[in-house]
Amino acid sequence: MKQTLMGNDAIAWGLIHANVDMVSGYPGTPSSEILTTVQKIKKQLNLPMYAQWATNEKVGFEVAYAGAITGKRTCATMKQVGLNVASDALMSASYIGNLGGMLLVCADDPGFHSSQTEQDSRVFAKFARIPVLDPATPQDAYDFTKLGVELSEHFQTPVMLRPVMRVSHAREIIEMDDETNYQPKEGKFQRDIPRWGAVPRNDRYLQGIEQLKRVEAIKAYNWEHFLKEQFEKCQGKELLIIASGTGYGYAKETLSECGVEADIIKVIMPYPLPQDQIKEYTQKYDKVLVIEETYPCIEEQIATQNLFGKNTNTTQLIDEMSKAEILKSLQKLEIYRGENIYEALEISKEYPLPKVEARPPALCPGCPHRDLFFAITKVFKKKKAIYPSDIGCYTLGLAQGAIDSLLCMGGSVSMASGYSIADPEKTVVATIGDSTFFHSGIPPLINAVYQNHKFILVIMDNSTTAMTGRQTTAEREHKDIDIKKVVEGCGVACHEYFYTNELSKTIDFFKDIKKVYEQADGPVVVVAREFCVLDKERSKEFLPSLSVMVDEERCVACDLCVSSYKCPPMAYNANGKVEIDPFLCIGCGSCLDALCPTDAFVKIDKGDK
Amino acid sequence: MRYQSVIAGFGGQGVVFLVKVLAICAGNRNIPFLGTENHGMSQRGGAVSCHIKIGDFSSPLIDTNQADLLIGLEAQESLRNISFLHKNGKVVTNADTNFPRLPFVTAKADGFALAKQGEFPIQALNVFMLGVVLGSIEDFPFSQEEVRTAIEQMNAKMAQQNFKVLEMGIEAGNRSKN
Repeated sequence: MKQTLMGNDAIAWGLIHANVDMVSGYPGTPSSEILTTVQKIKKQLNLPMYAQWATNEKVGFEVAYAGAITGKRTCATMKQVGLNVASDALMSASYIGNLGGMLLVCADDPGFHSSQTEQDSRVFAKFARIPVLDPATPQDAYDFTKLGVELSEHFQTPVMLRPVMRVSHAREIIEMDDETNYQPKEGKFQRDIPRWGAVPRNDRYLQGIEQLKRVEAIKAYNWEHFLKEQFEKCQGKELLIIASGTGYGYAKETLSECGVEADIIKVIMPYPLPQDQIKEYTQKYDKVLVIEETYPCIEEQIATQNLFGKNTNTTQLIDEMSKAEILKSLQKLEIYRGENIYEALEISKEYPLPKVEARPPALCPGCPHRDLFFAITKVFKKKKAIYPSDIGCYTLGLAQGAIDSLLCMGGSVSMASGYSIADPEKTVVATIGDSTFFHSGIPPLINAVYQNHKFILVIMDNSTTAMTGRQTTAEREHKDIDIKKVVEGCGVACHEYFYTNELSKTIDFFKDIKKVYEQADGPVVVVAREFCVLDKERSKEFLPSLSVMVDEERCVACDLCVSSYKCPPMAYNANGKVEIDPFLCIGCGSCLDALCPTDAFVKIDKGDK
Repeated sequence: MRYQSVIAGFGGQGVVFLVKVLAICAGNRNIPFLGTENHGMSQRGGAVSCHIKIGDFSSPLIDTNQADLLIGLEAQESLRNISFLHKNGKVVTNADTNFPRLPFVTAKADGFALAKQGEFPIQALNVFMLGVVLGSIEDFPFSQEEVRTAIEQMNAKMAQQNFKVLEMGIEAGNRSKN
């Protein structure tokens, strides 16, 4: 059956068609739509399966892994930095293995589109000694998902599927199974303490030996099933290209568009590679070029004299791949001597273009985070404060000057501790979202309470994982999980604030918190009950749909709203006064109160329209 | 056939919707295609540049000097993406009269002005601009009928309303040729 699908949707269908019935993950671009789509298919076809968001990637991995121990086929989904969190579980799981099948889908983000790092999860698979499959297209993503589950069951090890963003968020026509004949396996835990409960040293040592043997067996499988036929067709010309994932697609197009002849190998499983067999063929070529995203994973496994790639500075070392970069590599190898067909036309001499201003992402119009950041920076002045923050929509508070440092999920809380110790003259005001707080904000809060670290922590609770597409959070699904109670359970009072669009109230609340802070000798914790404007279920009760305009006579262009409040509809017009773009304004009315020193924002009566 | 389009705008304008419509058009005719979309952080009002390559391709991204068509839902975003066009490439942009002269066949329509006048809701700007493409670009690979079918497949409930806006775009596109 042919279907037009996005890569992540293709992976979801692959899981269903591989009879996977436990899927657990944590949202993160570019991986989020995999589990969302599994949940949709589950509902649509009424499938008896488990498909839920976990509180973090490690939890998600462990839930899925236990299922695979009992013989089920399971999957954990996450983005590449999520694997850092789940890595503790992965490293051990690779020694212990599984009876069923477990696919770890880890989506990479070359080009830093939505991530702090560009790390290559294939290298993580190599580090953990588990096989990894690298799809080039959504079709591959579907096929390799099914293949990965089968291989995991066959070799009794977790298998990684590593789509990059340009596979996860690519769209094409997919050929997939005509019917969904869903037959999940039953989970039956079989007690085997030396295996499932392996402790150092003997049992783990033995598992380590097994792991090494398994890697050799998978290498042989990789050669027989994925590589041998391709290499046997190779002519032994001037150039051989060995490519993996999207690199294959880019390389193939570059060769045909530049008119360069070369043999090209598509590596399906970039680890573990059968080096010896590959080397027999690579020696027949003058030059071998490896094209892969983003680290030299294949390159470092083969490593022969005639091999070129990142370590020889022949291919790009950072950023998303492009055909222009492959063309450059072919020029460096003196294989291609033609013109650069991917160079932008030089038009600006004859056709002068105006400067195009950067358009960075911003908090949505009406977003309560904006009011909180405005109030925090107003009450706790920049000169005497440090603002650590965390990973989520509220990261965009950077534009308001309300964020000084970002590290990783949950890092705001522990870094607030560190700053408070190292620079006690400053007031540390940390911000974190509800989903991130549950993900990894609780252990550092306990740490801060028991060691009396004095700082302010603001938990911005909009009851959704907003940035990645509004996935459900724990407290949204289960009302008894209450952030306030959790904070209190950590041994500290929780100051609750119920957001309103009256900005003065938010400012007054933080003035009160400042007083509490002055008297405190440990952390001061705030939970601000907010909403997400994109959350259709809850936003209606908060958004009054007001129409607001600027009274140009009152506006003195003081720049406060444009530089500190940063609401996207506000910009200067031709008269040098602030104007509100009615297409962008959501009508929250927050600017009517306490923002403008000259009260230039005025409500338009509906009758005037 | 090989036809490469860049669709540019900013988060919230429905750029991804247009990628999906063109993908459905290609799928309905059984022509292979590869498209790529922006999700996550880049969606929050930031610049969005989606690519769709129709025909025999193996990679989803379009390189500079390669695109046949640039559809810009906002003038600045059109200019930001201009380097994707090859010398015979064409531009269809939402822009007012201040849009600079370019060495490309250019069709302009002031979608913001029309939306302000209440001709169509701003959320339908993407469909309007697709109409402008249909009305102005003669070698565009899909017919009006094919696009209508795809729009209906995308959202049957909104189809009639979208057809009206599409028609307005087609007329504006026809006018821009003269």
